[in-house]
Amino acid sequence: MPAMRLTGYADKFSVHPGEPISFFVNCDGPRTYRAEIVELVNGDTNPRGPGFIERHVPSDIEGEYPGRPQVIHSGSYGWVADCPQLDLQSFTLQCWIWPTAPKTHERYWKHGPQAIIGQWSRGRGYGLFIDVDGHLELRVDDQVVTAPMPLRDRAWHFVAASFDAATGRAVLHHEPQVVYALDPVAEPVEAQLRPGLTHAAAPFVIAGYPAEAMPGDRQHPSGFRIAGNYNGKIDGPRLCNRALSRLEIEMMKAGADRGLTERTHAGPTNALARCLVASWDFGQGIDTLIGHDRGPYRLDLTLVNCPTRAMTGHNWRGENFDWKHAKDEYGAIHFHDDDVDDARWEVDFTWTVPEGTRSRAYAVKLTTAEGDEDYLPFWVVAKLGTTSAKIGVMIPTISYLAYANEHMATNGAGAELIMYRVPIMQDQNMFLAEHREYGSSQYDVHTDGSGVSFSSRLRPILNMRPKYDTFVAQAPWQYNADLHLIYWLDRMGYEYEVFTDEDVTYEGLARLQRYNVVLTGSHPEHNSGPQIDALHDYTQAGGRLMYLGGDGWYWVQTYHPAYDHLGRGVITELRRCESGIRPWFADPGEYYHQSTGELGGMWRFRGRMLHAVAGAGMAAQGFDVGTYYTRTPDSTNPRIAWAFEGIGPDEKLGNFGLCGGGAAGLEVDIVDTMLGSPPHTLTVATSAGRHTEAYLLVGEYYGTSQPGIDGTQHPRVRSDLAYHETPNGGACFAFSSIAYCGALPWNNGDNNISKLTKNVLDRFMQDGPLPPPPPESIKPRGRADYDPNAMIP
Amino acid sequence: MIPIPRPGTPERQRLIDTHWRCIQSMKGVAGCAILECATPGDTTDVGGGIYDDPLLRQVLFRMRAQPPAGKLVVICTKPDREWRIGRLSGIRGVPPSFVDERVFEDEQEVQHAIFLMRLDELPESDGMPEHFHEGWKRGAYNWT
Repeated sequence: MPAMRLTGYADKFSVHPGEPISFFVNCDGPRTYRAEIVELVNGDTNPRGPGFIERHVPSDIEGEYPGRPQVIHSGSYGWVADCPQLDLQSFTLQCWIWPTAPKTHERYWKHGPQAIIGQWSRGRGYGLFIDVDGHLELRVDDQVVTAPMPLRDRAWHFVAASFDAATGRAVLHHEPQVVYALDPVAEPVEAQLRPGLTHAAAPFVIAGYPAEAMPGDRQHPSGFRIAGNYNGKIDGPRLCNRALSRLEIEMMKAGADRGLTERTHAGPTNALARCLVASWDFGQGIDTLIGHDRGPYRLDLTLVNCPTRAMTGHNWRGENFDWKHAKDEYGAIHFHDDDVDDARWEVDFTWTVPEGTRSRAYAVKLTTAEGDEDYLPFWVVAKLGTTSAKIGVMIPTISYLAYANEHMATNGAGAELIMYRVPIMQDQNMFLAEHREYGSSQYDVHTDGSGVSFSSRLRPILNMRPKYDTFVAQAPWQYNADLHLIYWLDRMGYEYEVFTDEDVTYEGLARLQRYNVVLTGSHPEHNSGPQIDALHDYTQAGGRLMYLGGDGWYWVQTYHPAYDHLGRGVITELRRCESGIRPWFADPGEYYHQSTGELGGMWRFRGRMLHAVAGAGMAAQGFDVGTYYTRTPDSTNPRIAWAFEGIGPDEKLGNFGLCGGGAAGLEVDIVDTMLGSPPHTLTVATSAGRHTEAYLLVGEYYGTSQPGIDGTQHPRVRSDLAYHETPNGGACFAFSSIAYCGALPWNNGDNNISKLTKNVLDRFMQDGPLPPPPPESIKPRGRADYDPNAMIP
Repeated sequence: MIPIPRPGTPERQRLIDTHWRCIQSMKGVAGCAILECATPGDTTDVGGGIYDDPLLRQVLFRMRAQPPAGKLVVICTKPDREWRIGRLSGIRGVPPSFVDERVFEDEQEVQHAIFLMRLDELPESDGMPEHFHEGWKRGAYNWT
């Protein structure tokens, strides 16, 4: 199997005409590669569809470039540059740790010792480590003191080490905070080492150690390659410049505490203040990339690769759940050896998008003479204030990031149960399975088994590519599935623009109100708060929304403000809280985002009903095959009958398609007036009763484990096509299925799903308010007016 | 717990035959279910398969729920043209490896080949008390 030797990414998803966009390329093997700009129209290579369609775009970046390998140094850590105060002889190091992978399989990708904290490099200096067998270890120059019993994974330990350079006496404390009946007693280890300590002349690092010196470039901000990445939490590190007694160590747990009335010193006592070098408090600056030092020298740590913060500390009591109000209980940072915030590659070339370039889906196409190929997608987005098209397509880039580089087929073997068939992997999955440094999706767990909260767009995203089928659908998904819609708009000859989730998050209503109608992608599941606000503002002000997907408006996402200097929406954060379809669960107390302090989880449980955004909301999912819709009596209501012009009353709508073989499928939405669908919503067609048993009701719909929740048995396992008017001549049409867009290209766009979509779009895109509904449709309606028992005699 | 049908039994052959018919009917569908399309490649009308054979459904669930180490997967080696069978390592960072030299020219047929391999590999009493081992003490979410 050929390895993926050609990968890359752009510094932007969304670029305005007249502005530059830079590209970073890894070409590992071939001497040169060729780059050109293409407009992407259809990315699905399924022979039953229109086939792959790209259009060459002449540009000044087109040409042959020298190839060079570029690699990603994943693994989060913190560092502070060497300084005289760190040049110690005697020392005491102490902190709490919650290691998640103290012992790893010998074939584990980063099998080896893990560095917790210290200034140790190449046999010089001091540091606390975990050895390859999972034991706490003190390193003093080339000498090692090892704790007799291994650390327990996912358990708090207090660890400390002191060394007296005059005598050579070292003491290592390994104190589990939870002790079970049959655990051996963890006595401190005393050792006689050589007197004296050599200065490492390297940065002080936590969650790794400085190995070889490197140029202080973006890849190596500390000037060193960082090795020995640690997996787990670190809380409350302290560094002192003499060997403390166990009693002094105990007092030093309090750290720098300037809260006393007289505020006379930095330490817990006057005597200890004199030996205090640093006292880090990770409960401060949680939304930053700084590990704050409250000690006298301000040895703030710079955090690299975005470790997870707002994590419960060793002293979390289970009473405060929001870190903003209990920072002293959120002093832990969780580091992972596969964290990556930015691939930090060198730029290969930059394209300044010519003025007048149409707003479309583009990519840099990379090829080599040896048959390698990759596409680096981006979107040209019109500047605000310019003339606009009537149709705007909102590219769900937050959702692309949520799924970016997912490892579900390899990590989540049980995913096969949900998919109802054996996963099919492609080159991209094989590459990612080996190259964990490319980072994971928010559907994965880290290599240490903890959930992935962050996803960065500054790295190659190998599943955000044309010609890629996900195992989830055995068909395109997200990016490549949304090209089905792009193909259809192109085929039907519509003039449209594209914009991304970033654009609407940062620009709000100003972005949306350019358009008479806004179209979503096939699966806009992950959304920022400002984005949902803007969508509501838009539809309330007369805008028209075509929700062309399923399972939208589901998860709370926030952009990390510490990366704003690198562009819009670089890193997005998600916490999988107590409900929703979750591939992992956030731990208790870890539901609030570090980026903004917002409560994470489902928007529904923030009081923002998903059904309220476009009229329908997630009800069920299944991934084997899809099915079709038929019309309901609501479809003849004069408020919506125009949408069915040219469509017979009994037609099977969408019994075909390139995603699951039917327009209703994968993740499907329904009307529910109790969950936010406006009471005047019309349900104009439904797939009820036709889904397979692989389709299961989402967990939010029931409170108790229960049978009878599949598509062959449960009436809510269905997709509803739904319409409702919004004030000022606006409207929403929910197409309510991820697979829907996959039916649009069928028969080159000549089919009844295409017809229905065209009827809706033609009406929604018109200038001015939509025609008012018939006067008799204006009447009071309660949410519960609809009677589920109506058909029961 | 449903026993995995033994080699040579009529039940086993029935499952194999039904599975094969479903797979054949799913050719051309952008998806796959162990159900029969009334018109091959068309999902308008699907049935039979696991709906008519509860044992087939349960055996498939047992196979799908196996832990990752050694689990069989399909690897597409040439998009839309070639597929092979691989096995998951169960170790993060170690990619799947190919199990044999077979190359399939249909993405559905490889599902059937894996079904046959799993019937041979899964012990009849898999998951029953006599298979208890220490690993049963450690919980894991399905997706991890």
